[in-house]
This record gives sequence, C-alpha cells and structure tokens, in this order.
Amino acid sequence: MSDNLLEIEGLRVHFDTLDGPIEALHSVDLNVEQGQIMGLVGESGCGKSVTSLVTIGLATCDVDEGSVKYEGEELLFRDSEADKRLQDISGWVTVIGVLASIISFFGMLLTPLSLEFKTFFLIFVFITIASWVVGFAAKGEYRRHQKFMRWVRGNEISMIFQEPMTALNPLYTVEKQISEVMHVHDRLVEAETPRYVRVGQALVRPATLIVDAFSSKPQSSIATFSTLSFVLFAHLRGFADPTAAAIASPFVFIFQGIFWIVEVAYYSYKIIMIAFGPLVCFSILGIFVVIILTGSTFLDRYGSFIRPRFPQVGVPAPGSRDDPLSTEIDRSLEDGPQRPHASKIDSLLLQTPLVFTTLLIVFLLLWMPLSALLAMVIITTLLALPGIIIVNYLGLDPAHRRQVIGILEDVRIPNPSAVVKMYPHELSGGMRQRVMIAMMMACEPKLLIADEPTTALDVTIQAQILKLMRDLRDEKGTAILLITHDLGVIAEMCDAVTVMYAGSVVETGSIEDVLSRPRMPYSIGLLHSIPTIDEGAERRDFLPIIPGQVPDPNLHFDGCRFHPRCPFANETCITTPPPMNEVEPGHFAACHHTDSIGENVAEVQAAFDVFAAEYGLEGVA
Amino acid sequence: MTDDSNNDEILIEIEGMKKWFPIKSGMLTAVKSHVRAVDGVDLQIKRGETLGIVGESGCGKTTLGRVLLGLIPSTAGSVRYDGENIRNMTNKDLRRRLQIVFQDPGGSMNPRMSVRSIVGEPLQVNGMAEGIELTQKVAELLDSVGLKREHMNRFPHEFSGGQKQRIALARALSLDPEFILLDEPTSALDVSVQAQVLNLLEEIQERHGLTFVFITHALNVVNHICDRVAVMYLGKIVEIAHTQDLFSKPAHPYTHALMSAIPEPSLEKASRERIVLSGDVPSPANPPSGCRFHTRCPIAEEGLCDVEEPPLEIIDSDGHGVACHFPLGPGMKLPVLDDAQIPPEDDDEPTTIVL
Repeated sequence: MSDNLLEIEGLRVHFDTLDGPIEALHSVDLNVEQGQIMGLVGESGCGKSVTSLVTIGLATCDVDEGSVKYEGEELLFRDSEADKRLQDISGWVTVIGVLASIISFFGMLLTPLSLEFKTFFLIFVFITIASWVVGFAAKGEYRRHQKFMRWVRGNEISMIFQEPMTALNPLYTVEKQISEVMHVHDRLVEAETPRYVRVGQALVRPATLIVDAFSSKPQSSIATFSTLSFVLFAHLRGFADPTAAAIASPFVFIFQGIFWIVEVAYYSYKIIMIAFGPLVCFSILGIFVVIILTGSTFLDRYGSFIRPRFPQVGVPAPGSRDDPLSTEIDRSLEDGPQRPHASKIDSLLLQTPLVFTTLLIVFLLLWMPLSALLAMVIITTLLALPGIIIVNYLGLDPAHRRQVIGILEDVRIPNPSAVVKMYPHELSGGMRQRVMIAMMMACEPKLLIADEPTTALDVTIQAQILKLMRDLRDEKGTAILLITHDLGVIAEMCDAVTVMYAGSVVETGSIEDVLSRPRMPYSIGLLHSIPTIDEGAERRDFLPIIPGQVPDPNLHFDGCRFHPRCPFANETCITTPPPMNEVEPGHFAACHHTDSIGENVAEVQAAFDVFAAEYGLEGVA
Repeated sequence: MTDDSNNDEILIEIEGMKKWFPIKSGMLTAVKSHVRAVDGVDLQIKRGETLGIVGESGCGKTTLGRVLLGLIPSTAGSVRYDGENIRNMTNKDLRRRLQIVFQDPGGSMNPRMSVRSIVGEPLQVNGMAEGIELTQKVAELLDSVGLKREHMNRFPHEFSGGQKQRIALARALSLDPEFILLDEPTSALDVSVQAQVLNLLEEIQERHGLTFVFITHALNVVNHICDRVAVMYLGKIVEIAHTQDLFSKPAHPYTHALMSAIPEPSLEKASRERIVLSGDVPSPANPPSGCRFHTRCPIAEEGLCDVEEPPLEIIDSDGHGVACHFPLGPGMKLPVLDDAQIPPEDDDEPTTIVL
C-alpha cells in the first residue's frame, strides 16, 4: 500500500547478554497509515517497546532480519559484507598493532642503543594508525546513516516516553529544552535581537539579581553585605589595624568563651570519671539493662504519649473526647491559631545558615588567603565567570520565546508565558507530559510514537492527555503509534490495533474487528480478564482468567508461543508456527484454529474457564 | 463478596481521623506548614465485607490505610478495632489481628530470605510454630495461595510479579488475621495476572471469613471485588455507598468524572461522551477553601461551594453518603467543561538569590 507511513516487516532482533542471546522479537509485522492512530498492546515483556525503539534507532539490540520502512525509506542499517569484513580485520590489526608498539617501545627503552626496536616501533605505529584509518573509512556509511537517523528523530518520527520526569532535563527551563529541539532541527525563526545584546543582558543579570535581593530581603542582605565589607576592610588594612581589631573583638570574645566552656566541660568530665568512674559506668549499664528488659512492653503501653506533637493551624473538627491524645491536641488547638512570636523566631532561624556560611567564608579567607590552591581556584573561577554567567543567564530571543509559547498553547497548557520559565520539577505530572508532547510536536513530525504515555498518570489526567493527543491528530494529521498495556485506552483512542504476545504479533486489524470479533485465543482471554464497570450486567463471582504466565524469552518454541496457555492447543500448535491468517479483509490472526474458533466468543470463553480449572491455580512451567 | 455481609457488626470504626505531615525547610527551621494527607475521615468497616477506597494519587488513601493499621501515628482522631482503641493494643496483638499486603511485592520482601523464612517469620516471632511444624504450616499456607511446596526454598527474585504477590498474601495470612489491608495489590501486575490474583483474594476471603479494605485507583477492580466503596479526594471521603449504588447512581460530581474517565475495552462505551476534568489535583499542603473539589467542579456555585465545606450526609436508606452541596440524582448529567475555562495561574515570582 502506498499510503503506509511506517512499514515493519518480519522484524527479528536479539539482545546479547552474558547468559547468551535473548530473542526479544520473533516476527513483527506492523503498518501505520498516514494520520492513523495505531495501538500496540501486550503484557510487559512482549516486546512492544523494543519494536518502537528499533524503529526510531535507539535500541541496543542486534537486528537479525527484517526491515523498517518509513515512507519507503529503509531505517534499519546493515553494513555491506565487504565493509563488515574490512571493519573486522582493521579492528584486530589495530589491537595487535597497539600491543606490538607497546612491546617494542619497552624494548626501545631497555636497549637504547639498538636501532632495531626503534624501527620496529615506528613500523608498528604506522600499521596501527593505517588500519584504524581504514576501519574509520569503512564505517563511513554507518556514520552517514546515524546522521540521517538523527535528522529523522524529532523531524519525521518522534517519541514520548512513559515517565516524563526522566525524559526531561531537570536543570533546564521548559523554554530552553523546547527551543533546543527546534534549534537542532533548524526550526527557529530569525532572531529579533542580535546575539551580543543578549550576551550583554546575561552579563548584567547577576547585578540585577543582587539588587533585587537587596530590595526584597533587606535584613539578611544587610547582614551579608556588612560581613563581606568587613572582610574586604580587614584584608586591605590588616588585622593589626585598631579599627579592624575593634570590630573583630566581639567575635574573638565569643569564640574564646566557647573554648572556655568546652575546656571546663572536658576537665569536669575527667574529674568525674576518675572519681566515680566505675559507679557511672555500672549505672549506665544498669539503665540499659532495665530499658532492654522492660522497654518493649513499656513502649507498647505508653508509647502513644511520647509522640511529638505538631503545632497546628486552623480549627479542628471535634474529635472523640475519651481519646487522651485527641483531647490533648484539641486543647492545644483551642489555645490559639499559632505560637506567639513564631514568625520572628522563624525569620531568625532562617538566617542561621546564612550567618554560618558568612562566618565560614571569613575564617577561610583569613586563614589561607595566599595559598596557591585557593588562588588558583579564585583565578580560574574569575576567568570562567563570564562563561558561567552566559550559560546560566543567556535568555531566549523574544521571537523564539513567542514560538515556544505558541507550541505550548497548542498543547493547552494554561498560562504558557509563566510555564516557559519553569523547571520540570515545578510542574505536575500531567503538565510535564504536556510539555513532553509539546517538545515532540515542535518540529511537526508525521509519526509520533507514544510509549505508555499515560501509565504514570491518574485517570482524570489520563483522560485529558488522551483527548489532547486525539485533538492534535485531528488538527495536524500526525499518525500515532500508541504503545500501552491498557485495552481501555486502545478502545478509546485507536483506529487500528496490533496485539503482541511474547515477541510476535498475534493479531492485527481495525479496532472494530479486534475488539468486537477477536479470533486469536490470547486476545479473547485478555479482553475478558479485564474487570469492567457494567451497570446492567450480572456480576460474575470469578473473573475469567488466562491460566499460566508469559513464557521466559529464553525458551525456544517450535510452534505457537501461546500453546501452553491455550485451551485449543493440539499437535500442530506444538510443532508448527501459526501463519497469519486473514480472517476478514484487513484483519489478521496468527492461529491454526481461526476457522474452528469462529466468532462465538462465549464458547471460547467457556473453553478457557474449563481449561483454567484443569490447569490448576498456578501454572509453573 | 460474601452474601451475609448485611450483618451490621462493626469491626473497625474510624472517627475524626487526621494525619498531617509537617513540612520543614532547612536544618534548623521550624515547621512551615502541613501536608494534610488525611483530614477528617469517619468510616465504619463491617465484619466480613470488602470496603474499597478509591482516589487519585495524593488523595491520602494509602496514609489512611497505614494510620488504620497503626503503622504511623495519627495526628488526631481514633481507630477502634472491635470496640478497643488501637492505641491501647500492644503491637504484637495488633499485627496478629490486622495484616497488610503492599503494592510492590518485590519491595516488601527481603531478597536474602527464602520463601520459607519470609512466610514463617511472623509465626516464629509470635512463637506459634517451630522446626518441622513451621515448615508444615508454611507448606499449607503456600498451598492455600496456589503455590507449591517446593517453592519454599527459593528466593523472591526467582518468582514473577503475580507469584510474589501470592507469597505476600501467604505471609499476611500466616497469623490467621481477621482483617487484611490490601494496598493496591494488583496495580503492579499485568492484566491476565491481575485477574488471577483477584480471584484468589475472593476465594481466600470466603474460606477464612476475612474483612478486606481494598485500596486502589482502578474503579473497575473495585466494581468487581468490593461490597462498599469510599471515594476520596484530597484527604476527605466525598462519597461512600454500596458498589451497585455507586456505579448505578453516583451522586458526587467527582465520582461521575472519575467513572467517566476510565477507559474501557468496548467500543460502545468508548464512544460515549466523557467528562474531562480541567486542571490538576490541588496540593494537599494548601487545599482549596470550602468544598475541596470546587476548583475543578463543573457545577460549583460561587459564594457557596468555595466558602462552605459540605459535610458527608447520608442521602438514602442504604447508607449512601455524599459530601456535596448539589448531589446529583440518578440519570442527571454533568455539563462538559472546555479547556479554555481553566483559570490562569499566576506563579511568576521574581527570582532572588541568597549569598
């Protein structure tokens, strides 16, 4: 068909592990048409994510056979035989050449007068470099393909991941991340302000921030400012200067006082230990013994009274009066809304870290101002400072920002002009997923791969995101490959659906075909094992189940991979892999029994129930 | 699930339950404010029933469960178990009668312990079995959850998710408790395995005459397994009813929206009109005034819903309780809100630096 956007044919891949290769996909055939929402459904480990990652060129597996065509263009890359052989040879020659040059180098060191080792060394180095260059050239085609795939990703095919927080960079604002994608794909409009103006603005930014801080938090800022100016003053004039000494004297006094207290405590402790040492030791031991012996029951009984109580705000609902803790809390609540002077104490406490930091700076600078290390650190930091400032504060061009805001508006983010300046952690889960979608739609790709986009979200938020994705499809005609394990999401979103089981496609067809008339036993069992909200229907006491579990990917099957769990399995199923039968136009099912199973789903379900009862509660392979 | 759930013997009674977590900033600062995870919940659990607690993440359903079991102390309110305040019960007594199954079965087991010691540890701690007797008992427990005797010497990582959840269930059953709290027991499992575990739960409840509290976010599971359902929103119960009543005539707008948001694998239902709630769940650290749902509610009325908090009122003889000023009657529909009506937030604070 010509209107197929993505065609995957006979894809078979494996992962190389220490325990040997694991076949992740056996035979995957998948077509996505222009503007279609195709659902890919299956249980965990069935290979649905691997399929999408292979498509977009991000998978780490080895492709054995098959093809992935995007608008007729092959996306999978395989080296030609000659290139592969060349790469192999060059790899081995390089490794041996490096070893030989190292050995000859040592020989050269041991016998400095002998010319032979010198010649050997030069020859080996030459061979190594030459073979490496040949290998590099042989990989040229591969590099070109990587470049092409980098262009395809984002521009033509893009992908949304399950967990938006791990897919977004927590260190950059939303606008920076979205504009980066657009910059890479050259989608940004021409800048309004020249770059040097924005660099200048960035360099001035720290100064404005300091002014802002001083105007908004005068108390703490004045404290910081006076400490810093004292340090500067002491450096310029020296501590011998009477003014500096006078200013520093209260600090000196306080610290000397602290030392005295410590000393007094230390000596009194020593005296006590010498005089009453054994007595103190034994009494402490005795207390421990008593606690260990009686502790557990004591804490069980009275533990509830030794719990911390939180100061509380607001009027409580009257609790039960006979509960001692509850009444206590109620009483403390009735006392008043808050502790008196709480705000003052809070503000003092807020300043303590600040005071400690400034004291630390003072002492460090007084202690080793001229040490080479510190000087080096200071000098390098000063040299790098403009760079650091520019990286952190270089703003987005107003035109580019408007572009980003426009994209955020497309994904219905409320108040986008504020959201662009936020970091991912400031957004809620649904908003993050919207930002993720915005980023992926920024370059208007023709195919969007959504890998479990709503699994991490709540149901009401999930409904919002699904609605958004459908609306985007209707507006822009983007085809979507929706990967999920939730058949409900499939029913709501998709035009067509593909069911996967243990690395192969078992059924595919339009949404009506597969959901109303499933023909593969696995799809039937899956559809019926989901508890539903049926108002009218009679509630079954037990849910219909598929007995057993998904087989280990290491297990080899000659025939159908579902046969151990299938009530219809016979000899043919064990020995021969099932063909993809076209049961209706456009509706394929991989089963030997598509004719005999027919369309009577209830019969199949009854067969499943009988089979499950025979199978036992737990099917352990 | 049991038919004799109409006996009205109350096993657990929760009154005015509150759990506030303090928010602190920095090392030495005082408490800034509180996350009101559970904020005034009254609940009665009858003997032999399965009570479902549903809600979105962050609504306090897990916290409620933990406070109910005495795993964390409550801030205010009381839990009575069989007429006795659980504060006055010893920990051993409490754990012997009340048990829990956690969401992530792998995370709730020690990976270095064999199944025999995982399931047998409660028995050992309580001095109920030793030696050969212990092995015998563990074998019986494993048998009752559909595992085999030879699984006893394996370790948790050798099992699949569904099997791990069965082991967790066997451990919970080991002390023969009267009550088990199921904290999202199936949300980490695949669909076909979920069905197996749900069936097992029902079977075990019938066999042992257990009382279940089933915490979940999946309404379809609730419909299948629960006798009564409580819907929570931001630390409060907004609706409580028998399962059939709740699903046939939901009265709270939030329940309506929640039920309409669930995607179902059938085409007739997929094509129905959905109520898509706008906006996100507000933060429990700063809940909205009045009715907590009014910021997202399509029928909220200004001057009433944002000022006065509706109490949980019983609206019919079956004990259908709802906390709403305008409870919906059967067959009534909610208006569909547009995205454009989302009120803009203003979070554009000036940046400041602290030196």
